[in-house]
Amino acid sequence: MRLDISKDWCLEKGRAEVDENIGAGLLGIDPIIDSDEGRVEILDESRLALGRFVELKRRQERLTIEALAMKADVEISELLQIEHGRLLKPEVRTLYKIATVFGVDHKKLMGLSGLTRSKDMSFVEDAVKYAARSESLEDLSEEEQAALDGLIAVLGSK
Amino acid sequence: MTTGPDISPIFLFDTATQAAIPAELHDSINDQHLADWEAEWMPQLFSILRTLKAEGVERRLWPQSRHWNWGEKTKAIEGRLDNQCFSIVCDGVTQAMMITELTHRARLPDQKLDHLVYVEFVEAAPWNRSDIIRQPPRFSGCGSILIRAAIEFSKLEGYKGRIGLHSLPQSNSFYANKIGMTDLGPDPDYQNLRYFEMTPAQAEAFIKEGG
Repeated sequence: MRLDISKDWCLEKGRAEVDENIGAGLLGIDPIIDSDEGRVEILDESRLALGRFVELKRRQERLTIEALAMKADVEISELLQIEHGRLLKPEVRTLYKIATVFGVDHKKLMGLSGLTRSKDMSFVEDAVKYAARSESLEDLSEEEQAALDGLIAVLGSK
Repeated sequence: MTTGPDISPIFLFDTATQAAIPAELHDSINDQHLADWEAEWMPQLFSILRTLKAEGVERRLWPQSRHWNWGEKTKAIEGRLDNQCFSIVCDGVTQAMMITELTHRARLPDQKLDHLVYVEFVEAAPWNRSDIIRQPPRFSGCGSILIRAAIEFSKLEGYKGRIGLHSLPQSNSFYANKIGMTDLGPDPDYQNLRYFEMTPAQAEAFIKEGG
């Protein structure tokens, strides 16, 4: 079976595939990866602290979520879920990319997300405290108000 | 079925130099490919697993295909006429492998129970997997080329380009967005992996893009 596949086709597909995984097929021994079985309970507050950190750091760097997603080469939806503390199982790669962009220790980000457990987890407690203190009491800025107005417009009012 | 092993010239995308590197698509998995898997893939995979272990990453997050034994897989189908293997070689080393088979039937309503080529297993060498090496892959394009091979094999068998597969969780977006297959959702009979299927029209569109 001899195929005639052009160089241009290979090149275009190769470029489009750089960040993709291609694995397919039944797992040999591993249990079901996405089942709840074996899923580690992740502390809600730790996950929220991770989200707060990502949000504050992003804002400090004056990046929109979209810009950070592009810079870190991660999915916008995943970033949004991390910021809002709703992602039970962030990808290792995503946390690694975010840590790289922000110049922080990726192992600690993984610890904060609940993916890993290191001997000294005191930094998680500290991070939660700082995150709790960081919740803004200020009125919405013009940009935040505009974003909120836009969201309300998109979602529609009752 | 096809006759003896054949080799087609292809190109892989070298992410470091952004160049197209000449490579070979083999319609077989032979001893040399399996030797590469054992001597080149496995040591790097073990090294990655050691790093993940040292970092305390849970085992459920380790590469999901780490138990795959391509030697056993190919041995199990030796001499069978309903299986066809493919591999990609570049720089003298095997870069990816795939096993297809012909006994599955289509599930999409428009082509329900029609014959298709089912991709049983497909995997890239560890250095071509950005998810586990945490940097751009050495070569990119193996997935698209192997799917192209499955489509052409399907046409050759008279199945008009219809193919199906169960994607590993981290590959779902590739098959849905980059290949353009239809996602039929988690399959409880296949470890809840999502089942993807391609129609002849989707196959033509995939081939045409970049053509």
